[in-house]
Amino acid sequence: MTKSYDAIIIGGGIIGTATGYYLSKQGLTVLLLEKDYLTAGSTGRCITGIRQQFSTPATIKTAMRSVALFSRMEEELGRDVEWTNSGYIFLAHDEQKVETFKKTVALQKQFGLDVDYLSAEECKKIVPMLNIDGLLGGTWCPSDGQASPFFVVQAYAENMVKNGCEIIRGDEVTGITVKSGRVESVTTASGAVYGAPMIVNAAGPWAREVGRMAGVELEVEPERHEALITEGVAYMNIPMLVDYRKEGGYFVQRTTGQFIGCYTPEHQVKGRDTGSTLEFIAEMARRMCRLIPALEDVAILRQWSGSYSMTPDGSPIVDETSVAGFFCSVGMSGHGFMLGPALGESLAGYMVNKTWPFDMSEFAFGRSFGAKEDLA
Amino acid sequence: MSDKDIIICRCEDVTQAEVEAAIDGGITDPEELKRFLNVGLGPCQGRTCGRLVLQILARKTGKPVSEIRATKTRPPLVSVPIKEFIGSDDD
Repeated sequence: MTKSYDAIIIGGGIIGTATGYYLSKQGLTVLLLEKDYLTAGSTGRCITGIRQQFSTPATIKTAMRSVALFSRMEEELGRDVEWTNSGYIFLAHDEQKVETFKKTVALQKQFGLDVDYLSAEECKKIVPMLNIDGLLGGTWCPSDGQASPFFVVQAYAENMVKNGCEIIRGDEVTGITVKSGRVESVTTASGAVYGAPMIVNAAGPWAREVGRMAGVELEVEPERHEALITEGVAYMNIPMLVDYRKEGGYFVQRTTGQFIGCYTPEHQVKGRDTGSTLEFIAEMARRMCRLIPALEDVAILRQWSGSYSMTPDGSPIVDETSVAGFFCSVGMSGHGFMLGPALGESLAGYMVNKTWPFDMSEFAFGRSFGAKEDLA
Repeated sequence: MSDKDIIICRCEDVTQAEVEAAIDGGITDPEELKRFLNVGLGPCQGRTCGRLVLQILARKTGKPVSEIRATKTRPPLVSVPIKEFIGSDDD
């Protein structure tokens, strides 16, 4: 006999485990299926940053809600997730960025975000080690922060199980059965069949393939981004620095004392390659030292890459799809970890009550993709 | 000596009792153990503890070490100061 659940989630990253936890909190029995191990996809390869500085209302509100959830995660989930408000500074080295930042700061302030546009000298006061050559100004949000993606996923997963749900690792969903326009069950590589009236696609870089199993086309394209981490050193008070120059990048000092960072490749690299390159290490080393010259003595420990699951407008798709009972929370476009807690909570609420906490039509399935997120 | 006193990963201070508790909690993939315990993510990058974790897993799961997927090794293999990558105009 097919084992049945209230909901089945496909994918064991931040999106799957957060959605699963918030569903379990509402009393639903959930099965989470992960084809490899928890955080094996994009979540475990991200650089831990959590920001609220975005350029559209729904993204700003979602990110602010996520920060509220991260802030009390240890209390709610009973595990230290290394959350800390270390802040983010977006740096402007040209007039166009100054204009964009002043506009986005005004919008963010409308939603009550504690963000300000600062002069280069004021940025230097916050980060005394910052090289401000060529810097015109920056935006500073002290309540932005960082947490461990591993510990956050672990905390959500443990609490899901505590609430009576199941997690199966190492078994890949290979098919989704749809009957009369409604989802019915999933089939896995091991030959198991699990039934549920609601199925969530939280498959990150594999979202398009999982969508197609139910006959749903999702405009999500994985792209490769590389990253590195250094050894831990004494605390240097470096928040996440976002440098938008052609040879820019973004990095932060972790609570562990380590520096973690990446840069967006000049030319888009499609695909799910998670391999390493020495070229990236040398280039990132140069870019980090350009901003913080004192980093030259810090030793690099490890280099890897992960996938950004991009949508055409840089915002996620979080909604019920054209197949009844088939939901998606995909296309995080590099912001899955930071948006994940609030998106999980919102989608779980929508699946149970059919209401969103605020207007989330920006993330609607089947929207026409318009202007791109300014602070991508 | 108690399992709580046996250090498996010296860099990240992980004990045998912690590794065994995680395995008992359903984490049986070395990659997932690495992520949730930090075991092997310190300065030595798993040179000592990697093998020990595989042996504990083999003992607890009954699978031979040869059948367990070891964690991925990443460059630069040994930690290298940033300045070594940057070079100067004289190079």
